[in-house]
Order: sequence, then C-alpha cells, then structure tokens
Amino acid sequence: MRFIKKTHYNQDIQLFKHQGQLFWYGALGVALLLSPLVLSDFYLGELSLVFIYAIAGIGLMLLTGYTGLVSLGHAAFLAIGAYTHAYLLAQGWPFPVSILCATLLSSLVGAIIGIPALRMTGIYLAVATLAFAIIVEQVLSHWVSVTGGFRGMAVELPSIGSFSLDDSVTFYFLCLFILTGCLFLALNLLRTSTGRAMTAIRDSEISAQSMGIHLAYTKTLAFGISAGFTGLAGSLLAHKIGYLAPDSFTLLISIQLLLMVVVGGLGSLHGVIYGALFIGLLPQGLALLRDTLPPALAQIPGLEPGIFGLILVLVLIYEPQGIYGRWLKIRSYFEEFPLYRKATHKRQRSYLRTERLK
Amino acid sequence: MQFALARGFHFLEVLQLLVSGISQGCVYGLIALGFVLIYKATEMVNFAQGDLMMLGAFFAYSYINIFELPFYLAFPATILTMAIIGALTERLLLRPMIGEPHFSVLMLTIGLGFILRAVAGAIWGNEPRSLSTPYAGGVIDLNGLIIGYENMVIILGTAALCLLLYLFFRFTRLGLAMQAASQNQLAAFYVGIPVKRVYSMVWAISASISAVAGILVAPVSLIDPLMGFVGIKAFAAAIVGGFGSLPGAIVGGLIIGIVEQFAGLYLPPGFSDVSAYVILLAMLLIRPQGIFASMQRKKV
Amino acid sequence: MSLLAANNLSLSFGGVHAVEDVSFSVNKGEVFSIIGPNGAGKTTLFNLISRIYDASTGSIRFNEQDISQVPTHRIAELGIARTFQNTELFEQETVLRNLLIGQHVHRRTNLLQEFLFLPSVRQQELRFRKDVEDVIDLLDLQHYRHQVIANLPYGVRKMVEVARALCLKPRLLLLDEPSSGLNPEETEDLSFQIEDINEELGTTIIMVEHDMNLVSRTSTRVMALADGKLIAVGSPVEIQQHPEVLKAYLGE
Repeated sequence: MRFIKKTHYNQDIQLFKHQGQLFWYGALGVALLLSPLVLSDFYLGELSLVFIYAIAGIGLMLLTGYTGLVSLGHAAFLAIGAYTHAYLLAQGWPFPVSILCATLLSSLVGAIIGIPALRMTGIYLAVATLAFAIIVEQVLSHWVSVTGGFRGMAVELPSIGSFSLDDSVTFYFLCLFILTGCLFLALNLLRTSTGRAMTAIRDSEISAQSMGIHLAYTKTLAFGISAGFTGLAGSLLAHKIGYLAPDSFTLLISIQLLLMVVVGGLGSLHGVIYGALFIGLLPQGLALLRDTLPPALAQIPGLEPGIFGLILVLVLIYEPQGIYGRWLKIRSYFEEFPLYRKATHKRQRSYLRTERLK
Repeated sequence: MQFALARGFHFLEVLQLLVSGISQGCVYGLIALGFVLIYKATEMVNFAQGDLMMLGAFFAYSYINIFELPFYLAFPATILTMAIIGALTERLLLRPMIGEPHFSVLMLTIGLGFILRAVAGAIWGNEPRSLSTPYAGGVIDLNGLIIGYENMVIILGTAALCLLLYLFFRFTRLGLAMQAASQNQLAAFYVGIPVKRVYSMVWAISASISAVAGILVAPVSLIDPLMGFVGIKAFAAAIVGGFGSLPGAIVGGLIIGIVEQFAGLYLPPGFSDVSAYVILLAMLLIRPQGIFASMQRKKV
Repeated sequence: MSLLAANNLSLSFGGVHAVEDVSFSVNKGEVFSIIGPNGAGKTTLFNLISRIYDASTGSIRFNEQDISQVPTHRIAELGIARTFQNTELFEQETVLRNLLIGQHVHRRTNLLQEFLFLPSVRQQELRFRKDVEDVIDLLDLQHYRHQVIANLPYGVRKMVEVARALCLKPRLLLLDEPSSGLNPEETEDLSFQIEDINEELGTTIIMVEHDMNLVSRTSTRVMALADGKLIAVGSPVEIQQHPEVLKAYLGE
C-alpha cells in the first residue's frame, strides 16, 4: 500500500495525486504517441474510433454517471454533431470553425431538451430523450435539402487550410489530441463547484437545493455540456465513417453508448476509457466468435445486439460498478493482502423508495 | 410537401379512422398495462414489455400454425407459456436487482429486450409470419363503415381483459397483496405478504397480458422479432396516461392510437411515426404527471 | 432583535392541517427548540422555513426580508442552512466532497474558468478547503475526511450533515432531530457541539428535538406544538411544567 505524506491542500486538488500516477499516465501517453510507428493503418483506425467513442462517453458519463440523469437518446446528439459538421464543411466553412459550431449547436439543442427534463426524474427523462432521438432520426430522413434524406450525404475530407488531416496517422493524432483536451476539461469540471453540484444532484436533489444549488440551471447545464461533448464526437465520427445516413444514428447506438458507460463503470472517467475500449473492440471479438461458432448459430441475424444485451445483463447483475470497479477490487485485494475482506466493497441497497401516492 | 388538409373531413372517413385508431390504441394500451402493472407492484420499469408481446405472438404462431392446435386450446397454452416465462424472468434476472437503483433495472430490461429479439430470431427466423385465426378476414359493414373482425376482436378483447383485471385488483387477496407490496416493500413484508412471490406473480400476469396483446395484434400486423418495438410507443402511452395508473394506460394508448391514424392521413409523411413521441414530449412539458397523476415528491 | 419571524403560518395537505396558524419569532444568537408529539408539524415547519413547501397562508420574514416567495435554492444564499431528520447526504461522495458542496454558495468563479482550472479557481478551491478544515476541526471529523458516506456509521453521518450545513456559514441553522439515532455518549457530545456552534460561530439555531435533556441543556427558549398548533413558548423549565404541554404529551 502506498502512503502519501500530505503537506499542502494543493495535493488533493492536483490531477496527478502522486509521482506513481504521473509516471504511469506519462508512460501511457508516450506509448500512444509512439504507436503509429508500430501499428498498421487498420489498428490506428480502430484506435481512433475508440477515442471518438471515449469523447462521446465523457459526455454521457457527465450526464448519467455524475448528474444521475439517464439519456436513452444520445445518438441524436452524435447525429446533430455529425450532420452539422458535414453540412457546414460542404458550405465551405473551415474545419476548426465548423467543428466548433457543430459542438455548440449540439450543446444548445441538448440544453433545450434538458428544459422539459427539469421537472422530471429517472424514467420520464429517459423516455423523453428516447422520444427526442426518434424524432431526430425522422427529421434526418425527411429533411432532404440538408441531410440528403435516406440517400444520406458524403462528408468532405478533413483539412486545415491546405494541410490534409485525412490519412490515418494524422487523423489518429487529431482524435487523440481532442480526447486529451476533453479529458482535461472534464476532470477540471469535476474537481470544482459545478462538478460537485452535479454529483450533489445525483445523490440527493432535496439537499442539493438546500445547499443553494439551482436544480434547473445545473441540470440544463449538465445536459448542454454532455450534448456538446457527444456532438464533438459526432463530428469526428462523420469523418471516420465518411458517409452519413439516418441509420447510422439509431436507438441501437444510443444503447451502445449507455452500455459503454455502464460496462466501463458508472461515475468514473476511467470507466469511460475502459468502456470505449470495450465497445470499440467488441465487433472484432464478435467477428472472431462468429468464425468459431457453428454456422447455424453464427448466422443468426440479431446476434450482435443480442450479445450486447447479454453482456449488459451480466454486468448489471454481477458487477454493477463495471470494469473499473472490478479493477479497483482486484487492486485493493493485492494491496491489502492478506487482510482483504469481501465486505469492503459491499454496496448499500435501498428497499424504501416510493415516490407515489397510491 | 403537400398537406392533405385541403381534402376536407368526410364524416365516414373520420369514423373509419377512429375505429382503426381505437383498435391500434387498444394494443398500445395492453402493452402499457403490462408496463404499469410491473411498475406499480415492483417500482421497476420493464423496457422489454414489447418484446414479451413479440414472444407471445410467436408462441401462438407455433401452437397454431406449426403444432396445429385449435385456437381455443392454443390461446390458453400461449398465455400459460408466457406466464411461466414472465415468472422465470423475474426470478432469474430481476430478483437479484431488488434494492438496486432504478436506472440499473431499466438498463437490465433493455438488455433483456435485445436478448429476446436475438433468441426469437434464432428460433423462428426473421421473415414475417402471419397467424391464422378462426376469425380472420371477416368484416362487418355498418352503413359503409367497415370494421374487420380482427379489429373488433382487439377492441372487445381489451375491454374484457380490463374488466377482469379490475375485478382481480379490487376483490382478490392476491390483487390486494400486490397493491400493498407496491406501496412499501418492507412494510408489506413485515405484515406477512410474501413479497418475492407476489413479484413473480406480477411478472407472470404482466407477461400474460402481453401475450394476449400479441395474439390480438398478430392477425393485423405480421409477426417478426422486431414487432416488439411498438413497446416504445406503448411506453409513451403509459406516460401520457400517468405512469402508475391502470386506466391511464388504456386511455393513453387510445389517444396515441387515434392521433397516429389521423396524422397518417392528414399530415405529411413521417408525422404519423413521430406523433406518439411528439404527444409524449408535449405531455411532459405541460403535465408531466400524466392524465391520471399518481406521483408525489419524496418526503424529508 | 428577531432574526426569523413567522406570522400566522398554515399548511394543509388534503384537508389535514399539518401546521395551523403558527406565529413565533426567533432572536439573534438564540438556541430555539421546537418540541411536540409525533405529527405535531415540527418538520413541516422546517420545510416551510427552508421553502421546500409553500405555505397556504401566512408569511416568514428572515432578517427583515420576506422570504415566503423566495425560490428554494436561494434560501441557502440568504444564510439559512438545515439538516434532515433521516440525513440526506451525498451518499456516494467522501466526507470532504460533501463539505465542499456545502461551500457552493460561496462560489465566485464561472463555468469557463472552471473548465480551464484557472489560478482564480485554484485559489478558491484552497480557500474552500481551509474553511472546510475549520469545520472538520470544530466537529472532530478528522478521521473520516476521505471516507465515503455510505460506509459511515449513523452517528458520524449525523455530524457530517451538521458540518455540511455549517460550511454554508449560515446565520441560521435548522437542526431536524439531531440526536435521533445517537447513543447517549454521542448525544452528550452533540450538546457541547451545539453550544460551540452557537457561541463560537455566533450562529442562531432552531432545533426540532425529542430529547428533553438535550433541549433543556442547550436551549434559550422552547416552543411546543401539538396537532399543528402552537401551545406554548417559554424557557425550558416553563415549558416542562406547562399544563397544556403535559396534556399534549400525556393525554387527559
């Protein structure tokens, strides 16, 4: 076990709490910077996709994991980011301006959608966002002049001035850079008042209010920020897939994003990264699985979503804190060996939670 | 885009739309009833309700079209099968989740929905099937107002089922026990209500209602693994009606069913598909507790 | 000098009068206790003062300002902090973060500064932390600083909740049954801490409490309620001997 002597309150505020953390995150950073030297284009592409998922995941995690508001419609913000960016690029806007506008628009729409959410909790909100996502999907299919309708629209190649960002190495660095920036912003948010206000709302609205936290404002803000991150991911995703069609942003994608934050581990940014790795690499895993399964099983049409569902169910029942929670348990097992007790990580359950009159 | 409003309202046409709206609305209402029942008793939200309906329809199809059972035998057989599946689902998947946050349960049932769709796809394949019923194809002609037997059966069947449920909750011990368990899990347990068994029963009943919905709707729409997606509209219906209210579920279903039909004819394409969700969002803005309110804020 | 004055407050829930025509005023620097049998409307009164409920009639003035229409979240800014009967802490957070949330009203930075963690934000965080540590020292919570609330025993949680309320630096502190669920030893400590808060910080305290021992040790004045109505206000001794109060507790 590591014991740290603390001599200044600054130490509890730092992003890296001690030298060890700094070393390991530094090592990870160097490895990511050097990986284009060893990895093939295909794997760089896959990693870029993981980064994009992670950016979207940060958005959803801030909303669901930290503010406790569930969104079943985050694919809509992904779509808004992607389509706005593609449309503005097609109008000849420069790449950085376009991506910024896409992020802001997505954020604005998120804040507006957050407004009906202010009076609702839990399930109502989840369904409202679901309804919103379905409406967005329909708008994408029918607003032909902007979105190309069912035919979809091609996305122009990314470039800043005459410098092309299109080849896989540059795009990889672009995604890595933006992800690092997003992580930095999110971490800062979480260690200051606004982030604390969000977690306060998650744990108890009534006492958050008594602490002077404006529920409506903070929830709208959380929605806006969350949608912004997801929209930003959407505009990067537009380049990754190259051609936008309404069926790239279905309910399944929304669920996949939720799966990512749940499997990764709710309430931690580490969880986002684990979740993104999981979601990003799952299709490869499934492809391998398909090869080994008997053809009769492997040919089931809905196999992939089915396995998604199965993993979701198993994680929720056996490890509700996700991959990150499991990792923490394994780590403390070794740190405290042989004193580790299972009960250390026992969760509190609540049996009295009625919100109803009859 | 051309607005069809110019065509004007013809009385008969309106009536015709109303009838098909009501029949579609009954189906939404029945699925919504399943949602509400489970929510009332266990405070869990079952997002896989539509998929239970899909499963029910497939079982009915197997019994009637494959095993060639007569309809009057296949009907109870389907309900029994679904009741068992419902109870098993509760026992194996939901019971470990008692006391966990609502969100986890919601996610779990979403996952369950994906699994059920994959399983159905694996067993029955993805091509749409049609269910043969003794009442297929017939119509009643009321002075030009044409009502198919299938729609007739949907409406009457829903009415009968509602009456049955009303009597059940009002007068039977089990019904009362369910109401008690829905108020307060711990208190119900202390006064000797076997809360866990009650939960299994609730799931069984809810799955059976979905099975009835599946059998009723199968002759009108075809059976395929994705038919459970109407569950989302039913969910909207449950909220419009006031989540937690049984009559609200049916009323909400009818509203959405009827509006959809009219939107389909009088508004540009695409509006019919989203009308349910637009109603939902509007409702959440204007009166978030729904038509029959039953929510209350937490006491401190 | 009255800090808080309630005039003819009433609130009814579907025909039941939870609070009926209650008027009282609390002086600056007082420890004012509210007693009464279960269902007397004590907690409802708290919920009215902290604006969780809207009064049906009547008004509340705090510091010469009418607060009957002030939105709930503004109450904390005005300087009223409260605890809850069954504790309402942020369960998944550490004690430290709970107390930092208590500092929310003192926030002077905006969202953009926080996103970038500018030096002004760092200064503010350090200031918050110092103030939090003062409260931790006052209430002896040093050992629990980095523990998650969900893992703490009930007695500690109650103290954390008081600490969180103090982080607002309130002028008026509302304590809803601070001793319920505490053992005699912890209750003993509590009475000293209430005195400390009152005397060292100069905070006015209104307390709903059942433990008459604690009430008589700490309170300046006591108000007795029964069935939503005010029965008597007076010194702890006066109240304990008041015939109407005895009747409310013991029956005829």
